[in-house]
Amino acid sequence: MSTTPTAPKLDSKCPTGPVSERWDKHRFELKLVNPANKRKFHVLVVGTGLAGASAAASLAELGYKVSVLCIHDSPRRAHSIAAQGGINAAKNYPNDGDSVRRLFYDTVKGGDYRARESNVYRLAQVSNSIIDQCVAQGVPFAREYGGLLDNRSFGGAQVSRTFYARGQTGQQLLLGAYQALMRQVGLGKVALYPRREMLDVVTVDGIARGVIARELVTGAVERFAADAVLLCTGGYGNVFFLSTNAKFSNATAIWRAHKRGALFGNPCFTQIHPTCIPVSGSYQSKLTLMSESLRNDGRVWVPKAKGDHRSPDQIPDAERDYYLERIYPSFGNLVPRDIASRRAKEMADAGRGVGDNGMAVYLDFRDAIGRDGAPRIAEKYGNLFQMYERITADDPYKVPMRIYPAVHYTMGGLWVDYNLESTIPGLFVLGEANFSDHGANRLGASALMQGLADGYYVIPATIGSHFAGRKLGAVTTDHEAFKTTEAAVRARLDQLLSIDGKRSSDDFHRELGLVMWNHCGMARSEKGLKTALTKIRALRDEFWHDLRVLGTGEELNRELEKAGRVADFMELAELMVLDAEQRRESCGGHFREESQTEEGEALRDDANYCYVGAWQHTGEGANLSWTMHKEALTFEEVKLTQRSYK
Amino acid sequence: MSGGHDTHSHGLNLTLHVWRQKNAQDTGHFETYSLHGISEHCSFLEMLDQLNEQLLKEGREPVAFDHDCREGICGSCSLVINGRAHGPDRETATCQLHMRRFHDGETIYIEPFRAKAFPVQRDLVCDRSAFDRIIAAGGFVSASTGSPQDANALPVPKEAADLAMDAAQCIGCGACVAACPNAAAMLFVGAKVSHLALLPQGQPERKKRVLAMVEQMDKEGFGNCGNIYECEAACPKGISVENIARMNREYLGASLTARPQGEAKAGF
Amino acid sequence: MLSRFGAFLRSSIGKKSLMAFTGLLLILFLIAHVAGNLSLYADGTGEQFNAYAAKLEALGPLKLAAELGLVILFGAHIALGMRTYLENREARPVRYKDLAPKGNRTLASMTMPVTGIVILVFLVIHIIDFRLADFSKQGLAALVIERLSHPLGAGIYFISMGFLGVHLWHAFQSLVQTLGFRHPAYLPAVKTAGMVLGVLIAALFATFPVLCLMFKGQWPWN
Repeated sequence: MSTTPTAPKLDSKCPTGPVSERWDKHRFELKLVNPANKRKFHVLVVGTGLAGASAAASLAELGYKVSVLCIHDSPRRAHSIAAQGGINAAKNYPNDGDSVRRLFYDTVKGGDYRARESNVYRLAQVSNSIIDQCVAQGVPFAREYGGLLDNRSFGGAQVSRTFYARGQTGQQLLLGAYQALMRQVGLGKVALYPRREMLDVVTVDGIARGVIARELVTGAVERFAADAVLLCTGGYGNVFFLSTNAKFSNATAIWRAHKRGALFGNPCFTQIHPTCIPVSGSYQSKLTLMSESLRNDGRVWVPKAKGDHRSPDQIPDAERDYYLERIYPSFGNLVPRDIASRRAKEMADAGRGVGDNGMAVYLDFRDAIGRDGAPRIAEKYGNLFQMYERITADDPYKVPMRIYPAVHYTMGGLWVDYNLESTIPGLFVLGEANFSDHGANRLGASALMQGLADGYYVIPATIGSHFAGRKLGAVTTDHEAFKTTEAAVRARLDQLLSIDGKRSSDDFHRELGLVMWNHCGMARSEKGLKTALTKIRALRDEFWHDLRVLGTGEELNRELEKAGRVADFMELAELMVLDAEQRRESCGGHFREESQTEEGEALRDDANYCYVGAWQHTGEGANLSWTMHKEALTFEEVKLTQRSYK
Repeated sequence: MSGGHDTHSHGLNLTLHVWRQKNAQDTGHFETYSLHGISEHCSFLEMLDQLNEQLLKEGREPVAFDHDCREGICGSCSLVINGRAHGPDRETATCQLHMRRFHDGETIYIEPFRAKAFPVQRDLVCDRSAFDRIIAAGGFVSASTGSPQDANALPVPKEAADLAMDAAQCIGCGACVAACPNAAAMLFVGAKVSHLALLPQGQPERKKRVLAMVEQMDKEGFGNCGNIYECEAACPKGISVENIARMNREYLGASLTARPQGEAKAGF
Repeated sequence: MLSRFGAFLRSSIGKKSLMAFTGLLLILFLIAHVAGNLSLYADGTGEQFNAYAAKLEALGPLKLAAELGLVILFGAHIALGMRTYLENREARPVRYKDLAPKGNRTLASMTMPVTGIVILVFLVIHIIDFRLADFSKQGLAALVIERLSHPLGAGIYFISMGFLGVHLWHAFQSLVQTLGFRHPAYLPAVKTAGMVLGVLIAALFATFPVLCLMFKGQWPWN
């Protein structure tokens, strides 16, 4: 943080007035693009998850010329596909008292009061349209015998507002958006470029005008020019190496944009999901989530005694500690994700964890099976039990599941205003890639809602202000800015290929992940964060001296791809630690050991930290540095209170 | 987050014959590798990760294979393992296959999905974009984003919704093509045709859809269905060949009854 | 209209449907054929059988039309079979080292092209043997018994019927699937019925070489 940068404009552009009228008012005030002119504007969408696919399809339907870059061989493989539980909407179909206002309130509270009221209210407002739109596309949501849509309840809410398609809601929503996208591809309105990895943003006169991407099969470095760029590239949970994210999930797109001037919002806000299958060995490549819904019937426990290695059926009830039920008598096993995760870690740290390495707790269905019978439990969770057995070879009907928290989602991301525009004009960021809406903790079934809200309803309305409000000269890929950016990309690829060291990028990534998990994971402390900073810097230095990438850049080269992503994670990790360090309060998924109540609960500090930390990249290489700017959060509708689940 | 089961003295020792192909033009060949001390608890892809780590150390180029979510839903992973698409287990994608399914000293042949319509791009990576073109031809409901009617305005019988979901579960991995002795894509196309034909939202484009999708499927160079049903056995989601019968029915019906194109007069 | 039919025929499902439809008609033909042939067992003299043949002969132009129909049915079925077989080979230019089963294939479903070709060869022999032969003197029944009493003739016919049985084992349920009539409620019945029907037709046909070889037309029950 050495240099003094020019302060960027942190104008959230949030409308004023009654919160329920803001989105309407804002849309009315936005400039429109005449239908005949839309085809003159070229939008480049990077990423084809829920946000990217829905945005690309919707913008093409409006008449914009759209190009889409996709890192996979098919847009259908984006990681939104793996979301299990469901999608929230304030339909109030079950007549249980839900409303837009209640969804808004629950989301602000669930996020521990670190999200913008205006954004969250808009999210709740469009949630209903999303369900209508998805049903119209043929998404096969679960239905009741009467043919109407079924709802279930989810963590953090007292109403049933979650729509679902078995345990594959993300898949079905993504396929709906993918099909809408492919329809536009078939109509010639969208040009689809699969197996392309975006490696940099090109700006002309400070405005985003395209990207440089690498074709992953031939290795060709390509230029894409456009009038607006949409980054829909997901979260960065893979900085921890082990997470529930897919292997291709990475931060490179947003990180490159960040280094070109886009501010990064709340980078340390990470969600750790409490019910994942524990790590079983050093070969482990990723972690698998077990749906939160299991906590409705499963009881979480560890042995009361330290180092009790008896098999679970040999431990009588009197020697078991059902710690969530003990500490939180009213919410019991259904406390929010962040709390359940932290308590599990506490047990493992106290030497009372189970499994081979003591890094797990039991999730026991014995009592539920005794009460309801195995068939009823199978009906509810059969597919999850099967998935668990496939991975662990243990039968959860007979032995308790072993679970442990794992990195799942990142609430932080590129800072965007109410129009989803980053601090680089013309560069929009949608879905998990941006920082908005979820504050410091995301509620279950809200990620799908946000991705689709951004793509189907927000960006089609707000992108017009960019086209109609700015003078955009014609820019082609022959522009000097493309040449210099491409040269930078090529230089970096060459650098990665030429180190000729000994260690693989996976090896470095694993080590980085461990540092992050130990010091910037579920619990963070001043001391730990300082340690992390030293370790990350040393590791980054080693990376650039001892990396081994074989082959060339002119072929399908997975090691080269991974190396580039790990190089970016190495820098992002430092920023996450810096952000965690400056936020000396606990809120949502961010738990600072120095800031807790006497009972060990997260203690927020609204007087000093009720802001978004927006980080500006200010120095490169050995002088890697950032400056943090603050966007103050104001709450007019919701009263800030300390969460309690006792 | 380390430690656990993987002690080298107890692991599996394996001989792997892996298909190596430099690029689409190369003819390709099998290469043989020995792996030692593989934990039976790791997944098949994690075993390949370890192979790659070993190859990298030896200064040999790692094996390229497709993978992403590693939890059986994205459809990226492929591989024909000892002649079986996604390996020996039913309703299991390669990424969910675990090494406890293999024994010490076993020899394993690993090949890419093979079909004219899925050209190999490198090693075990093939191009399955033919599936995307089939979807682009008609595998959708033309419902542009906007303000459609309320989601509950049109009840859907639970049975239809469930059957549609059974079909819609398809992960687009292409194992049906890989396992079919004729390299036919009928299960993939049948699943999408069925998903949308079973729902009221799919009715307006029902005939047009099946005709267009089958036409595109044929253009891509897939084989013909011989009703051998190996596709169903290889499908990681266990999608029923009943969906193929439904597509046949839809196609026959549409072929017989669809009105000539462009017959309806456009008017303003 | 023609272009519409052409497009249908060029499509994979069109080809398979027509193959299934012609196959269904051929199965019906086989049922009629075997039922007619059974008259050979009615007496020791072949009178009934010859009378049946004479009746068919007496149909005149109708018989010719029926034969023409059969030629078209067989021709279409065989041509489509060969066409799809070649297309299927082309659909996988690089073969697997060994494509192992994962559980659903049957011997019959995997060998349809092979059994089909054997049946085609048999068909040629069969037409030369009986349709093109001159049996005006001894009568058809005597010709049949003479051919099938010889071990070589009996052997060819018996083995061919084995292949026919294997072909039909898969054929019926396959055509139900291809024509889109599959329904979970009736599927087990269709599968069983198809197999029984296939085996029954082939077995009844196969009795002729076996019994002729054993009894040379002197049926013990007469």
